[in-house]
Amino acid sequence: MEKVDCIIVGGGLAGLSAAYGLASEGLEVIVIERGDYSGAKNVTGGRLYVSPIRDLYPELWKAAPFERPVTREFVTLMGDGAHTTIELASERFATPAYQSYTVLRARFDQWFADQVMEKGGMVITKNRVDDLLLEGGKVIGIRAGGDDIGADVTIIAEGVLGLLSSKAGLREEPRPQDHALGYKEIIELPPGVIQDRWHLNEGEGAAHLFMGGVTRGLMGGGFLYTNKDSISLGIVVGMEAMRQAPDKVDSYTLLDEFKELPQIKPLVEGGTIVEYSAHAIAEGGIAKVPKLYGDGYLLAGDTAGLSLNALVTVRGMDFAIASGYYAARAVIDAKERDDFTAASLAQYEQSLRSSFVLKDLETARYIPHTIENPRLFTHYPQAVSNLMEQVFTIGPGPSKKLSSTVMGGVRKDFLNLQTLKELYAMRKI
Amino acid sequence: MAQILVYSEKPAAARELVFKAKELGAALGLGVVAAALGEGAAGTAAGLGEYGADRVYVSEDSAFAGLPVDVVAEALAQVARAAGAEYLLVSSTRRGKELAPRVAQKLGAACVTDVNSLTLEDGVLVAGRYALGGATVALEKLDTQTKVFAIMPKTFEIGAPTAGAGEVFAPALSLQPSAVKLVDRRPKEGESVNLDAAERIVGVGRGFGKREDVALGEQLAAALEAELACTKGLADFQWLPEERIIGLSGAKTKPDLYVAVGISGQIQHTVGVSSSKLIAAINTDKDAPIFQLADYGIVGDLYQVVPALVEKLKGL
Amino acid sequence: MNILVFVKTNPDLQMIRIKDRQPVMEAIPYKVGDLEKNAVEAAIQLRDAAGGGTITAVCLAEANRRAKETLKEVLAMGADEAVLVTEPALEVADQAAVALVLAKAAEKTGYDLLLFGEGSTDNYTGQVGPRVAEILGVPQIGYARKITGTEGGVQVERSMDEHIEVLEAPFPVAVTVVSEINEPRIPSLMNIMKAGKKPLAEYSLADLGLDATSVVAQKAILSNLAEEQDRKHIMFDGDPAAQAEAFVNALLKEGVLGR
Ligand SMILES: Cc1cc2nc3c(=O)[nH]c(=O)nc-3n(C[C@H](O)[C@H](O)[C@H](O)COP(=O)(O)OP(=O)(O)OC[C@H]3O[C@@H](n4cnc5c(N)ncnc54)[C@H](O)[C@@H]3O)c2cc1C
Ligand SMILES: Cc1cc2nc3c(=O)[nH]c(=O)nc-3n(C[C@H](O)[C@H](O)[C@H](O)COP(=O)(O)OP(=O)(O)OC[C@H]3O[C@@H](n4cnc5c(N)ncnc54)[C@H](O)[C@@H]3O)c2cc1C
Ligand SMILES: Nc1ncnc2c1ncn2[C@@H]1O[C@H](COP(=O)(O)O)[C@@H](O)[C@H]1O
Repeated sequence: MEKVDCIIVGGGLAGLSAAYGLASEGLEVIVIERGDYSGAKNVTGGRLYVSPIRDLYPELWKAAPFERPVTREFVTLMGDGAHTTIELASERFATPAYQSYTVLRARFDQWFADQVMEKGGMVITKNRVDDLLLEGGKVIGIRAGGDDIGADVTIIAEGVLGLLSSKAGLREEPRPQDHALGYKEIIELPPGVIQDRWHLNEGEGAAHLFMGGVTRGLMGGGFLYTNKDSISLGIVVGMEAMRQAPDKVDSYTLLDEFKELPQIKPLVEGGTIVEYSAHAIAEGGIAKVPKLYGDGYLLAGDTAGLSLNALVTVRGMDFAIASGYYAARAVIDAKERDDFTAASLAQYEQSLRSSFVLKDLETARYIPHTIENPRLFTHYPQAVSNLMEQVFTIGPGPSKKLSSTVMGGVRKDFLNLQTLKELYAMRKI
Repeated sequence: MAQILVYSEKPAAARELVFKAKELGAALGLGVVAAALGEGAAGTAAGLGEYGADRVYVSEDSAFAGLPVDVVAEALAQVARAAGAEYLLVSSTRRGKELAPRVAQKLGAACVTDVNSLTLEDGVLVAGRYALGGATVALEKLDTQTKVFAIMPKTFEIGAPTAGAGEVFAPALSLQPSAVKLVDRRPKEGESVNLDAAERIVGVGRGFGKREDVALGEQLAAALEAELACTKGLADFQWLPEERIIGLSGAKTKPDLYVAVGISGQIQHTVGVSSSKLIAAINTDKDAPIFQLADYGIVGDLYQVVPALVEKLKGL
Repeated sequence: MNILVFVKTNPDLQMIRIKDRQPVMEAIPYKVGDLEKNAVEAAIQLRDAAGGGTITAVCLAEANRRAKETLKEVLAMGADEAVLVTEPALEVADQAAVALVLAKAAEKTGYDLLLFGEGSTDNYTGQVGPRVAEILGVPQIGYARKITGTEGGVQVERSMDEHIEVLEAPFPVAVTVVSEINEPRIPSLMNIMKAGKKPLAEYSLADLGLDATSVVAQKAILSNLAEEQDRKHIMFDGDPAAQAEAFVNALLKEGVLGR
């Protein structure tokens, strides 16, 4: 059997990041990606937080094909008949080094794969790994298209569903309650139009999130990111919530409905849809992170459950890149010791624990539970918009004092037992 | 005086080019000359004169036997130099397409092949050809002193001849025999189909699993009173003759109705049907690019849809 | 037997979108041209039939065209070595320039047989092969649909407009192939891995005794626009019988059935 130092299953961000680290140190590494090229089918909302990973591969981010740095944040709370948009223009966000950028995966991943190859790593596309090869509980390589290839370590970065690793018993089978579904379109718009619609200077970008009526009260929300000459527009809906929805919703129509909303329509006006995609998102949080390593293998990225849906931010790409980085470090050190047992590879989990990856997931431990509360997606966006509407209303008769308008709304919608209980529960997030 | 030099191994194509050259020459203030090379050259020379060549260079040198491209190219280059040719028009037949760049290289000339339009814009010849597999039409102009255009046959209308014109001239050529030897030459077993003029066409592609199954396509064509055509993908299996290929390297059609069955709709194919009035497609893959070009689409298995269609049509 | 196969990195035409009639070429993936794959397959079959010989794949490409990947794919198919001519700021101007560079690369590498595609996937000019042959002063045979090795040369069956011709030529000779010549193999994972270890030489223009002035364009593209298409995009759902019914009714309404 042909053998290499390391095989990486999946040429997404986690796999490529690991490969880049390993190839940079001269290890013989092959990435096997089933898509036509890296990024061909990979789906993301569109915003990569670079701050947490900037120091991991500092040379990489300088030349990366980002779309726009996010300098403006918008959140729209969608009520029935009224919605409220909060716009945050922070000078700090608009000053380099930027904390986050919008990205298009087709472009970004392909570029990343090129960087891996520049370093001497091999990225083999259009090939699917069919099985992990196990020998006495140890992963010794992979099988793909009838060829067996051996490796000291196999890094499994096959994305969110983790079918190979579950099949091999390295993690649990994916469950609907731990996942959401994302539907997304890329809609082309001229850069000038994008800058006008989101009040941006040339080259700057916005992130725009939508909570409330977007998803018929199902757990989820909408997102919109501005790219160079397109926007990424999508919705995220909990799989379980959708399964249990009173009236069965055809998931595809949700995005179409979303685009028809009066709040969204003017934002996408005149655009051309150039891409449509749908993809699962892991939302189980830290509680669902599987065992990250074992004899001869490591799990990285979404396969390792490393993603976070914290209402206004979806994160996964930064975790994928960081976990790939630490996986590579662990393999490099294991190679030095010439020991690829679980004990030797345990270093991987330790590094993830002492880095932002598992720390941030730990901090967010209670988010998955909290956001299961549908009222977050129905009651609150509506209540805020109602309140704002009252504040700005001058009726035919004499107006009430502003303070009593506000207090009235607050008392009605926020100062009740249920809300207080919910707020109390939220203290943990 | 500078000249336009015309050559094609096909007399009809040569006459068409000479006729066009005459029109261009009048506008550009250039004379028109032609070359007739190889067996039977003397016979075609007169026709070239009648259609517009002021002078026809004729040679039946034995080195032209089998029309080896290296020898023909050398001869043409020698004629071009002798005649002071600024433009060379050759036909973009297979022979012409391999000849044109070789002559161009000898003359330090730029060249365009597969030209399907040629217009004069401010005294500059602009050639049109399909680019990007047929996705676009590129308009090109050549910047070299000598310019070579290989033009698709039947690109131009040809008018009436004027009798008696044209001087026949035997050039002094210095030629080496080619190292390539012609061992055998036989006509292709083709059939004559006229897809260019067909009003309705059924196109079949690799969605057909076996040679025998193409009969289904034939039945549909019969029921629609349509011509049967195919993709290159299918002709490469030799399930249908090359004459039936539609696309970049086949026929360019403009029927009232084109029905694409089991065809993915790659650009090299669709360039040959994009002028159809109506396009319909049957394909199992809802994302097949052919649907983007279709007026009517059926996502389904041709083995079920085609028989259903044939039945329906027969019942009319 | 020294076989050179000329492979180009072609844009994946299926991925090109048209925007305001303009082709959008940004971020388009590049891959080995279809006909070049046929040429490589032909080379492999010739080499294997002869029981020896070396196949060198030669590519000239701008830096952004992922040319190494292209060459690795060809090496994975079975070519023995690869030569990539590239330069950071290189913009390959036209077929005359490409041919000049490729001819120089051929001279440097040495050759008996030069194999080309009948045309490249995107340009399909068919100019490069004949031009290289002319620069090198070797005879050429276009449109091969079958190539057999002979003592010191090849026999080629080629497909012309109305004829099949069988030609023979001694080495050195240039041959261009058509797609019906063979069905190119898809490399296995193992061969892809091994390809990474096969020699891949990189030359700059200077290595070939050329410079930027050697690749200046002799022609200009004045415009490159898609023809306009306006289609109805009506899809028929249901079972085949219902689809057939709806389709036939639509055709009747359009008045394209009958005479
Ligand atoms: C709608 C949506 C919005 C999101 N928004 C954001 C956001 O704004 N910011 C953010 O940071 N994160 C976001 N995420 C999360 C983020 O996209 C993921 O966490 C990230 O893509 C994970 O990267 P990965 O490399 O682990 O997996 P992937 O990118 O999924 O890569 C896995 C790769 O493995 C390949 N593969 C799988 N099986 C095999 C096999 N058997 N053989 C060979 N190859 C195989 C796949 O083809 C794929 O390329 C979002 C996710 C979704 C779905
Ligand atoms: C330089 C060059 C020139 C070319 N010139 C031409 C040309 O002139 N003409 C031409 O046609 N091609 C040409 N080609 C080839 C072209 O690129 C494509 O390869 C070819 O058109 C594909 O043929 P296809 O659609 O039959 O096959 P495929 O692309 O293999 O498509 C088969 C389709 O059938 C569908 N299908 C499968 N099973 C079924 C079923 N049971 N029912 C219904 N649908 C089914 C599949 O979904 C698929 O979409 C050229 C290529 C090059 C490089
Ligand atoms: N840049 C290139 N590098 C290598 N070979 C090429 C290149 N361009 C063209 N060719 C070869 O020339 C053939 C004809 O190309 P073209 O003249 O562009 O139609 C191709 O099929 C290739 O074999």
